[in-house]
Amino acid sequence: MPNAAIRTEGLTKRYGEVVALDHLDLEVAQGEVVGYLGPNGAGKTTTIRLLLGLSQPTEGRGAIFGLDCHRQPVETHRRVAFVAGEANLWPSLTGAETLALLGRVHGHFDEVYRDELIDQFDLDPTKKVRAYSKGNHQKVILIAALMVRPDLLVLDEPTSGLDPLMEQAFRHCIGEARERGQTVFLSSHIMSEVEALCDRVGILRDGRLIEMGTLAEMRHLSALSVEATLDGPVPDLSAVPGVSAVEADGKVLRCQVRGSIDPLLKALAATGVTELLSREPSLEELFLAQYGADGHAG
Amino acid sequence: MRVDLGIRARITAPVRPGGSPASVVAALSARKAIRSGVLWGYIFGIAIASSQISYTRIYKTPTQRDALAATYGTNKAMSALFGPAPQLQTVGGFTVFKISMTLMILGAVWGLLTSTRLLRGEEDSGRWDLLLTGQATRRGATAQAIAGLGAGVVVLWVVTAIITVLSGLTSSVKIPASSSLYFALAMVATSVIFLAIGAVTSQLAATRRQAASFGAAFLGVSYALRLVADAGVGLHGLTWASPLGWVEELQPLTSSQPLALLPIVAFTAVLVAVAVHLAGARDVGESIVHDRAHSVAHLGLLSGPTGLAIRLMRATVIGWWVAIAVSALLYGVIAKSAGATISGSLEEMFSKLGATGTGADAVLGLCFLIEAFLIAFVAAGQVTSARAEESGGRVDHFLTRPLSRPSWLGGRLLVALAVLVLSGVGAGIFAWLGAATQHTGLSFTTLLEAGVNLVPPAIVVLGIGVLAFGIRPRWTSIIVYGVLGWSLLLVIVGGIGAINHWVLDTSVFHHMASAPAVHPNWEANGIMTAVGLATALVGGLAFRRRDLQGE
Ligand SMILES: Nc1ncnc2c1ncn2[C@@H]1O[C@H](COP(=O)(O)OP(=O)(O)OP(=O)(O)O)[C@@H](O)[C@H]1O
Ligand SMILES: [Mg+2]
Repeated sequence: MPNAAIRTEGLTKRYGEVVALDHLDLEVAQGEVVGYLGPNGAGKTTTIRLLLGLSQPTEGRGAIFGLDCHRQPVETHRRVAFVAGEANLWPSLTGAETLALLGRVHGHFDEVYRDELIDQFDLDPTKKVRAYSKGNHQKVILIAALMVRPDLLVLDEPTSGLDPLMEQAFRHCIGEARERGQTVFLSSHIMSEVEALCDRVGILRDGRLIEMGTLAEMRHLSALSVEATLDGPVPDLSAVPGVSAVEADGKVLRCQVRGSIDPLLKALAATGVTELLSREPSLEELFLAQYGADGHAG
Repeated sequence: MRVDLGIRARITAPVRPGGSPASVVAALSARKAIRSGVLWGYIFGIAIASSQISYTRIYKTPTQRDALAATYGTNKAMSALFGPAPQLQTVGGFTVFKISMTLMILGAVWGLLTSTRLLRGEEDSGRWDLLLTGQATRRGATAQAIAGLGAGVVVLWVVTAIITVLSGLTSSVKIPASSSLYFALAMVATSVIFLAIGAVTSQLAATRRQAASFGAAFLGVSYALRLVADAGVGLHGLTWASPLGWVEELQPLTSSQPLALLPIVAFTAVLVAVAVHLAGARDVGESIVHDRAHSVAHLGLLSGPTGLAIRLMRATVIGWWVAIAVSALLYGVIAKSAGATISGSLEEMFSKLGATGTGADAVLGLCFLIEAFLIAFVAAGQVTSARAEESGGRVDHFLTRPLSRPSWLGGRLLVALAVLVLSGVGAGIFAWLGAATQHTGLSFTTLLEAGVNLVPPAIVVLGIGVLAFGIRPRWTSIIVYGVLGWSLLLVIVGGIGAINHWVLDTSVFHHMASAPAVHPNWEANGIMTAVGLATALVGGLAFRRRDLQGE
């Protein structure tokens, strides 16, 4: 059995009293594109810094392609590339110099592909980092990570500051990486990005992984949004099983349905229905349902 | 809908991190400047008090004092180095001679570093972006920050003055409080001027480091002008051509000349006005002196972190080397004529200052203490720049790639050691060149050894710095500069002779023999080097196991 790209067992990080990450058990198979979501302070960056060996775990361990993240950082890093949400580059180097430096430190990289990426992301590599905008900083570290074609890409809010066109280019590159069989671990606050790219999604809250599955599985667990225009006034639906969040606006009904939609249809049959729209929840709605409904702190 | 409105309302509310928005910047910069002003005020005060007390203990009789004045008061080489010494028969005149030049330069460096840190440094860190989205305008914010710096320098003066007045009131010293206040004022005058210079260079430069180096260049030129003016070559008028000269012309404790405050105040006022004006004429984070936005790629050194470190530090290190080489050359040149006049009681004074023997080698032994301090300063800079790579998050680029922490840190340490050794060798060679022009008769190997002799204390500073970096990374800079400041203070205060040798032993310079006045103590040097390397090793091991930490 091939090693998982990422595997953690009881990975825990405490900062004094704060439990930033609480016994995380996570497994990402090779070739998977996995999204990693969670509100601010949930522990996403903490997880990633532990996986990269930048911080030491309080308990538990993590492995990348079967190699211990803390004991064998150098071996691990040969197969990994990381993009942080903040670029923190050297202001006096140009983009080209930065890319050359980072490529050489990695050991080997595809120069043709680098030039392609520079084109795709529309970066002017002769400019000094000091003169780049925030989005351009981000482009530099994205290109530096992609150009080495790593087996595993670890991305922590990689597109912060990119404009929609560049966001598009980013998605295109991740699509290519997936086709080549690279594994991608993407922490993000941009739901549409995760929805478009990821096979599986993990949701973290207060340092705990509370949900992990494919989008389809997660949708199944959650409610369907229904909007109906009726012939008459909205009837009392409080006794109908599975129906919640009812909003009546004259003849227009909005509600959420969990499980079968049949009882709702039966209850509305007497009034008569002119129009009925039902929609699967977007990832954003799933996410908000997890956090929004029961308050931010949970 | 309601939630939405709530959020928007929060965003548009003025940013007020404590206090009214009108004075946030002033309060922030005042807090930091005052903290530093208190610390340096103590150092200034203790240095002054210790010179006064040591004088009254060493030169008790009028005969001794006359002998001192006869030899030193007329020695032009010494006056080039430490400023003129008109009244060595009095404790005031001696205090000015012994300590004022050191304090003037330290004060200038303090002013420059503090103002570039609180103006350009704060701006580069992005904190100003936050403040300026509040109600402060660019010019307003700069004016406020300068006001905060002003508060810092007032505190520096107050603390210095209190200690100076107290020392002056002791029965043996007997200097009136008003004279002490005026002397303290003169001693912080360079701080005032260089705070203002730092404020201007902070507007001109593109980075904090560049701002500091523009100011340092100005200080270097100013020192050189003053040196020529006091060297007795008929150019005394040149004292009026530099800020250090004006401060000298205040002539505290000897023949006070408050008129010299005029150019100081006027120059400072103009600089402040220029700084505030320039601040409004540029964008946040931009510079007035344009640094080219585009550049051809120079990949030569960019093969890894060590090459990068060399490239990034090149300009700064070369600046230090120029300072070390030029000062060593000057010391070499003046050594013979200054040494020729050392005799009798002066020998004793020299030995109290750390040198033994007589003649040019004694003078150089003393001057090399200054070089030792410069080189230790370079060592401290090497450690803090490694820490800055970490706190700025830039080291992450290396440590998330196939590169181990030991090789990253080890590479930097090797560069640092090479820089230190070359600094010492350079000091020796340039002192020899200077001495050779005067046929001083000191051999090349003697001075080369004396130069190498300066390196071990710097290695100890480096080692302590790396230890701090490994164990308490956020304290690196405070610890390493604390050790340096403490060691320097003990060298200055050591002259009193009343300090317990256990305390003196904590100065990294105390274990260094004052070569070329005496032979280098290679055994002590070996021990210092071993201690420095061992502490660095422990620090390196600790670094391997710890979390990377931002600011
Ligand atoms: N160095 C540190 N010292 C103390 N606490 C920390 C440190 N780093 C992170 N934390 C805490 O750990 C928790 C998790 O932080 P983390 O940065 O991993 O969150 P995140 O999910 O990445 O959030 P965001 O979406 O805002 O990036 C937070 O409560 C944070 O305050
Ligand atoms: Mg984060």
